[in-house]
Amino acid sequence: MSPSQQPTSLNNPAYLKNQFAHRFIRALNNLHHTKTPPHHNYKMYNRSTRVKIAANTAMASVVGSRRAWSRAVLWKIRKLRSRKRVNCHHQEKVSLKRRNPKPKTEDFNNPFGDSSQESKLRELVPGGETLDAVCLMGETANYIKCLVAQVEVMKTLVDLYNPT
Amino acid sequence: MEKDGFFNNPQAWNSIFGMELEMGSQVSEMNCSSEQLQNCFLNQNWNNSMDQTDPFESALSSIVSSPVNSHPGIPIPAGENVALKELIGRLGSICDSGDNNSTNTSCYNTPLNSPPKLNLSIMDQIPGNLSIPRNHQLPPAPFPADPGFVERAARFSCFGMNESEFPNMVESGKLSRVSSKQSFKTAEFRNQIPVPGSDKKFSRELDSSMEESSVSEQITNGETGIKAQNSNSNGRKRKAIPKGKGKETQSSKVMEPEKEESDAKRSKSGEEGNENQNQKQTKENAKLAEPPKDYIHVRARRGQATDSHSLAERVRREKISERMKFLQDLVPGCNKVTGKAVMLDEIINYVQSLQRQVEFLSMKLSTINPRTDMNMEALLSKDVSFSQSFFTFDPSLNFQPFYGLVHDRPQNPLTSMMQRGLNMKSSQADGFGEASAFWENDLQSVVQMGFGQNQGPIFHGELTFLTSRKSINI
Repeated sequence: MSPSQQPTSLNNPAYLKNQFAHRFIRALNNLHHTKTPPHHNYKMYNRSTRVKIAANTAMASVVGSRRAWSRAVLWKIRKLRSRKRVNCHHQEKVSLKRRNPKPKTEDFNNPFGDSSQESKLRELVPGGETLDAVCLMGETANYIKCLVAQVEVMKTLVDLYNPT
Repeated sequence: MEKDGFFNNPQAWNSIFGMELEMGSQVSEMNCSSEQLQNCFLNQNWNNSMDQTDPFESALSSIVSSPVNSHPGIPIPAGENVALKELIGRLGSICDSGDNNSTNTSCYNTPLNSPPKLNLSIMDQIPGNLSIPRNHQLPPAPFPADPGFVERAARFSCFGMNESEFPNMVESGKLSRVSSKQSFKTAEFRNQIPVPGSDKKFSRELDSSMEESSVSEQITNGETGIKAQNSNSNGRKRKAIPKGKGKETQSSKVMEPEKEESDAKRSKSGEEGNENQNQKQTKENAKLAEPPKDYIHVRARRGQATDSHSLAERVRREKISERMKFLQDLVPGCNKVTGKAVMLDEIINYVQSLQRQVEFLSMKLSTINPRTDMNMEALLSKDVSFSQSFFTFDPSLNFQPFYGLVHDRPQNPLTSMMQRGLNMKSSQADGFGEASAFWENDLQSVVQMGFGQNQGPIFHGELTFLTSRKSINI
């Protein structure tokens, strides 16, 4: 949320889109190169799921480890990959450390008028379970910005390939 | 170079200054160690004070610089001695009456209602010799030795306040303070340099040292006097940074600490300045025993609860509302929405719709069968700039009603730009012009142009990632 508008700054949406497009296309190329027949029943071997994961991962890798949500996405991907390789070996459960424990005193005003909204938001934003309310809002803002960029690039790509 | 480094880094200066003070350095020590940073102190503080128009900082700078100037090794003009005491007294008086309503002491007739002028006057003077054109005249004395200076500085600054308002101070006896030890003087000197708002860490250290010394000292009247300097006096949980600050400045000061990164949790336990009620000196002393390091210093606003919980809660709520405003700009169509609940609903819906869009688009993309046997490297070497210009042409990619995937505008000057990019110079202005020219074109014609460039029509995505690479390549 810095006011810098340099072309290479992360806040510049054009930069975001460029980087994302680059990585996403590379990932798509890889995907199409490696054509694994869908012999598994797992949901994630669906083509569309993989493309979606590729898109999310590409976006998260652009942001890098600067944001909690991108870290969460990358961590999930890594976990997913290791689980694929190990394939049913018991994975150690990594406990997610809460960034800030929830305030125990609930009699004060919850800044979120409705706590269900907060929980919904936590579900939506990756990595939101471990964030406190303040950080959650910040992460949501950044996440929305990156999602918008991602959607735009993907739209452009779709229009490229599906001109009809 | 060290000086240059400190020139450019006010924080370094602040931390250094805070460190020095905290280490209990006497004025002489400050002189010695800060001598090399003399210029830095002088220049930086003035810049800061000019920017922030903070009377305290400038006064502080004057305090710092004047001892620096008055190092025995440096020849001192006689006028500087007077200026020194004037500055110190002025500082004390300024701190005492932040809201400009108290009269001066007998010794110092500085016009308290014009701290900004003080800024300028100090700034003008210190670069040259310290000849301050002042109405009042201090008793010209030879520049005292450092301990004596400390003592007098301590005394004067401590008592540079409205005597009528704080009779305790007068009664407690300046002499009693004077008679105390050297360490006390230095401590008090430390105490009496308020740095309100300039550096939180420094002020906290000040507070800690202040509290320790106040606890350790035997003059209870003096303590009440110190504490009484605040408006409405009385005990606080943690001593305020500027003692004389009025409540009117509190609300503004609340905003500054909130912009720090610390959590509300820390602010809850570390807040200060609850000046409104509670003559709990013992409680204050007990709490002063543990000076935590980084806290948000929050002041209770006028007419609001001063409970630590509620204060922290308020800080938290304000942070959240600040983020909500930012989110309101991001989410389209939320400018008219008021209220957190509705806003949150909007945000949640928006995020959900975006994620659904990603899913839908990825599904579409997955149906594409690209042919990647063509030479990508050759195309990678094509114009990069026009692709950049495409993506920098942001206004075109405005917010749409995202809630449905509505393609209500003809897409994509991309392919057209692909063709033109080969001819165009890589000037962004051209790119924009072309983009805008083609923006309203029919998609079909545009695409056919692009296809034509690539050897005939290619159906259904066999156009491949090549074109995308070419156009979207960085």
